[in-house]
Amino acid sequence: MPSIQSDIGFRRRRRALARCTFCAGGLALVLCLLRAAGLQGGEPAPWWSLARLEAPALPAVPARLAAGVRNPVDLFIRARLAAEGIEPSPEAGRETLVRRLFLDLTGLPPTPAEIDRFVADTKPDAYERLVDRLLDSPRYGERWARHWLDVVHYGDTHGYDKDKPRPNAWPYRDYVIRAFNEDRPYGRFIQEQVAGDVLFPGTRDGIEALGFISAGPWDFIGHEEVPESKIDGRVARHLDRDDMVVNTVQTFNSLTVQCAQCHNHKFDPITQEEYYSLQAVFAAVDRTNRRYDIDPGVARSRAALEGRIQSLAARRKELEGVIEGRAGPGLGELNSRISALEKSSAGSAAVGYHSAIEKGPEVAKWVQVDLGGVMPLGGVVLHPCHDDFNGIGDGFGFPVRYRVEVSADPEFKSGTLVLADFTGADVPNPGVRPQGIEGEGKSGRYVRVTATRLAPRQNDFIFALAELEVRVGAGRTNAALGRPVAALDSIEAPVRWQRSNLTDGWYPGAPAGSGLELAGVRAERTALLARHTRPGERVELESIDGQLAEARQGVGRLPAQSVAYVGSVHTGSGAFTGTGASGGKPREIRVLNRGNLLKPGGVVGPGTLSAVQGLPSRLEVAPSDPEGARRAALAKWLSDPRNSLTWRSIANRLWQQHFGRGIVETPNDFGRMGAKPSHPELLDWLAVQLRDGGESIKKLQRIIVTSATYRQVSDPSTHPSHGAGRLATEASRGGGIDSDNRLLWRMNRRKLDAETVRDSLLSVAGDLDLTMGGPAFQDFVVDKPEHSPHYEYHLHDPADPKSHRRSIYRFIVRSQPQPFMAALDCADPSMQVGRRNESVSPLQALAMLNDALVLRMSSRFAEKLERSGGSLASKVERACREALGHPLPPGDRKALAAYAREHGLENACRVLFNLNEFSFVD
Amino acid sequence: MNPRHPSPFHAAGAGPGPLSRREFLWQSGGGLGGIALASLLGGEGLLGGAAEPAGAPARPPGLPHHPPRAKRVIQMFMAGAASHIDLFDYKPDLIRHDGKPSDFGEHVEAFQDGLGPWMKPVWEFKPHGQSGRMLSEVVEDLGEVADELAFVHNMVGKTGVHSQATLLQATGFQLPGFPGMGSWVSYGLGSMNENLPAFVVLPDHRGFASNGPKNWDSAFLPSQHAGTIIYPGSETPIHDLFPAKGGGYVNARSERAAHALMERINREHAAARPSDGRLDARIRSYELAARMQLAAPEAMDLSREPDAILDLYGIRRNPGSWPKEINAAEERDYFGRKCLVARRLLERGVRFVQIWSGNDNGFPRRNWDSHEDVRRDHGPLAMGFARGAAGLIQDLRQRGLLEDTVILWTTEFGRMPSSQGGKGRDHNPYCFTNWLCGGGIKGGVAVGESDNWGYKPLQREKPTLVYDIHATVLHLLGIRHEKLTFRHNGVDRRLTDVHGEVIRDLLA
Repeated sequence: MPSIQSDIGFRRRRRALARCTFCAGGLALVLCLLRAAGLQGGEPAPWWSLARLEAPALPAVPARLAAGVRNPVDLFIRARLAAEGIEPSPEAGRETLVRRLFLDLTGLPPTPAEIDRFVADTKPDAYERLVDRLLDSPRYGERWARHWLDVVHYGDTHGYDKDKPRPNAWPYRDYVIRAFNEDRPYGRFIQEQVAGDVLFPGTRDGIEALGFISAGPWDFIGHEEVPESKIDGRVARHLDRDDMVVNTVQTFNSLTVQCAQCHNHKFDPITQEEYYSLQAVFAAVDRTNRRYDIDPGVARSRAALEGRIQSLAARRKELEGVIEGRAGPGLGELNSRISALEKSSAGSAAVGYHSAIEKGPEVAKWVQVDLGGVMPLGGVVLHPCHDDFNGIGDGFGFPVRYRVEVSADPEFKSGTLVLADFTGADVPNPGVRPQGIEGEGKSGRYVRVTATRLAPRQNDFIFALAELEVRVGAGRTNAALGRPVAALDSIEAPVRWQRSNLTDGWYPGAPAGSGLELAGVRAERTALLARHTRPGERVELESIDGQLAEARQGVGRLPAQSVAYVGSVHTGSGAFTGTGASGGKPREIRVLNRGNLLKPGGVVGPGTLSAVQGLPSRLEVAPSDPEGARRAALAKWLSDPRNSLTWRSIANRLWQQHFGRGIVETPNDFGRMGAKPSHPELLDWLAVQLRDGGESIKKLQRIIVTSATYRQVSDPSTHPSHGAGRLATEASRGGGIDSDNRLLWRMNRRKLDAETVRDSLLSVAGDLDLTMGGPAFQDFVVDKPEHSPHYEYHLHDPADPKSHRRSIYRFIVRSQPQPFMAALDCADPSMQVGRRNESVSPLQALAMLNDALVLRMSSRFAEKLERSGGSLASKVERACREALGHPLPPGDRKALAAYAREHGLENACRVLFNLNEFSFVD
Repeated sequence: MNPRHPSPFHAAGAGPGPLSRREFLWQSGGGLGGIALASLLGGEGLLGGAAEPAGAPARPPGLPHHPPRAKRVIQMFMAGAASHIDLFDYKPDLIRHDGKPSDFGEHVEAFQDGLGPWMKPVWEFKPHGQSGRMLSEVVEDLGEVADELAFVHNMVGKTGVHSQATLLQATGFQLPGFPGMGSWVSYGLGSMNENLPAFVVLPDHRGFASNGPKNWDSAFLPSQHAGTIIYPGSETPIHDLFPAKGGGYVNARSERAAHALMERINREHAAARPSDGRLDARIRSYELAARMQLAAPEAMDLSREPDAILDLYGIRRNPGSWPKEINAAEERDYFGRKCLVARRLLERGVRFVQIWSGNDNGFPRRNWDSHEDVRRDHGPLAMGFARGAAGLIQDLRQRGLLEDTVILWTTEFGRMPSSQGGKGRDHNPYCFTNWLCGGGIKGGVAVGESDNWGYKPLQREKPTLVYDIHATVLHLLGIRHEKLTFRHNGVDRRLTDVHGEVIRDLLA
């Protein structure tokens, strides 16, 4: 990991092996190096995952086992079982199958009516029709999107220090749900997430899918407070790109490319240069908000208008060039004056207005501008100061509480209209971000900003502001520019601090040349050019200007754009500028010696891995191409039918979610440190089905869940062995040889994941709100949002219906996991979770017993049962069927009814939610 | 303190009249197959046992790797970056050159604008103990145990950004997604009392430090190794330990009957599914949960601690209300309570306790990030932790627990020997101080020196890194840091990454 080691680097020379912060290996590493060296003599067979992907021959199975085969999946499974002498298990009962399918495909339990419907359906294709119905349900996408979000480590906050919310992250989550529900071809699914803006321009999905690149954590301080000119700032950006690279390669190709950051990969054929060439693919992008049109028609209109504006502007420039050619040496002189002024204003010493200094914050101070006449206001923009005094920097002196008013009366004694009032609560310091306030058509001659709580400086308090901008009507010009400023008081310390700085056109991040003097010289220049413009040219210019205005108005009339948090070129101010200012030019990427930013090696261009058999690693991108071409090329490489890793990786992920375990047990690592496939031919067969079968994920899942393998019982010891007419023992089925069920001689019993538990609670209690999409619901109260938000889960009211939506729509805080969900092993969005941990612990039991949600849903479940009437015994029986999918044995049912009689139905419901049966599916 | 709603168990039960919490617990716990409550409450019977939490996967084999010197750890973490120069690392040259323009002899990249004039330590230093250990007057309470402490003055970080630096000291990695040190210890050594979590975190009661629970997360390790947050003195010291608000219908009798009923139904269910050990483990987890409801409140109950003990830790029996401004008495009381609870947890078999001083780096400062005024923030915070730490060390010593408990005091980085123009100091990731004491540690020594200014290590090519500290603590626990690994996404991860050397000079 790059670090600020400088001269105090921790070089431990005794250690011959290169060391990095990403890879540990110890003895295994040495052994592997030796093995790798040994292999280099001949032409070694490629590692299984890198070999070309071809359809394997279907294996033959003994006739005895062939009878129960439903599709080729079973052939692969049974051939292997036969070889080991293990019997497969019989098909599970209908009540078991329907609960299994519902929870697996939709993440929700079946209602008793749905169970009855399936059990009563005697047609031979009843099972297949149920599968199709569930795959078509919108609930399917909500369930399977969650698995995907685990892998890409999606979250709704940034993580790290402060852990600020990321309010526009959800469009990506909705995109993933939509893509699963619409059965997006997998290749296109990849392409949209890596380069949708380039490959599918003008589409909503093409933008929203880019939330993949930005899904992971982001170091707010390392970007917003530390510029790229500092080493810590570069470290932050390097780590940020690393996350994008690792997310991409691990998600789509199941390789641990991060191990090649400090040296060539110790185990897999990935060079350090390849790692950095992948960084070069993402070298122009940051995590940022991006505007876009959801309606493709609007997107097209906008693109057409913007194209028109561009060509008109180009023609205008051309004409100007001709005219400038005639203007003579006077023009050159004016140009150099302008550029000198622009230069001086770029880092202007004229910081802003600064009030007198106070001992305490509770002193009201005002500053105002005189517009020269009563005008209808379009808006007011406050530009905060930047000053390094006391290390404060951005947002220096910006009031903690304030209001903005307009009046025709310079004293503000009459006819005062309030434009904005932030005097009721502290506002977070905005840094140098401009604070825009709507004018709402209110009119006046004087605009006044009154600070009612001053900003801290150094044991004292002040009010400072860089610029007060006022827009009139719908116009864009700043009517306050150069206008006189009055204030209650001012330190008047020219040139840095004086009243007139408030309307001098300069503020941090001001476009070059917005200053007052500059405006004058510009006007001179305009006049000079006007003198050299011929009548025909003037007509054309006027026509162009008219058309430009029309086109711009056309843009203004389009519906407002949506915003999504995605990986894209960022244009910013302060420390976090991004590459927008340079037109999205990718940052230079160098190979870092031992991953150390202070030891840069050669420059690398965009590229990818060379290890995949039969697929070139070179990305066809010219240095002059826009940055998006890099991502597009990588997206095509990742989705290439020849990329064996891609298709094997996704086939394995799907299989894993259906069986609880992948054919490869390490879904994020198909390298030498990962596990080997238990059924390599089956994996290849599945991967080829997906690749060559229209890339349809649903089709592949249909094959998997309709197989006899999937339909087996999970505990064969309780079922009579088919054919033999006797009870099979564990040993004869494989319990002795394969107690771990690696070979799938039975189905695996699944423990419900956190989301399924929560959604089931809500669903069974009758409170589940199935509204889809949109901003996340919050099951916490935010305290102290202005600095580091405290996400207080214990203050949330579990009765709040807004929080009764499916768990996929939960606002996911990175630093503070939701305690109930965390106790149930929900995914940690700080890391890519290919497979969740599954634990059983006392803290989990306490969560199920005592969490506010469980207690509330127990009450609601009881209310629902009461509403539908009947005897207590019938209520208890219904409750069992709702919560568990089947009735309890008579003795248990009686005991539960007796318990309900004595302690109330809600207590009985709480017991049902806490039973093992509720949390496991056979 | 965050206001946490009262437990319904605290209010009147639904039974024949109000029950006190203790009565409730006795009654409800008594129904769990006749568990001997005396032994639960005392913990003595369980201390030596190697009980394994329900459902825990097999621990890594071969542990301990060598005979341990210690069984338990307390880590004190000063969030925001505590100044080594003003507390522990005495620099006479700074006094001599106070106010003169600073000259580091090289380009220094400051986090803010911390390259003002040299600034002498804000407080006087005096020698303490047989070893003559120089301590700042705000931590002079530690003088009582000066000869127990071993200092490391040449600690070096990797970044001046709080979040990354805090993660580095807490987890060994500067990005999130790695297990905390306590999680590794829990994973490696397991619990000594299955009725309490193996790894407990006592956060600053005013809020989390940078990264919050990511600093004690289990990450890829099984989730039971995550640090369990305890807020001593709060009505719900452990999340969901007792029914949340809205669970008024749960009472002692219903709970006892519920446990019996669940066990009955679950046993039948499991009997029909004999191949699945998770079902039995889950049944057992409910027993343990009920026991934790007894054990945890008892462990946190300071009401029976004698006055002399409270005094030793700087705790007031009835603190009343505190002034609005930060003050030493309040800091002593809060930190002292955490230290005393830590001792009680250790006595009852908790493996690893992490105590935090300092919340997120916001304002007004209740953290160590003294950019503006070292005296204002560091003063009360230092006096607070020093009293509690000195009391804890003496109390452990008198109970014979110090000899097999390691105490580690740390922070994310140090502060600059120059001022920021005013009374504050900027970040110094190039040098800071840790200290250790207890089981297997050689007291009264200092290993690793900083330079004249406390700017960088005296021997720049021989710094101490967090990996070395972590390796040393693991070593004392009988663990070889290279061998405690967990494979995740293709990499055999360990606490010390690919670094770390046991600091032999620290060992007794």
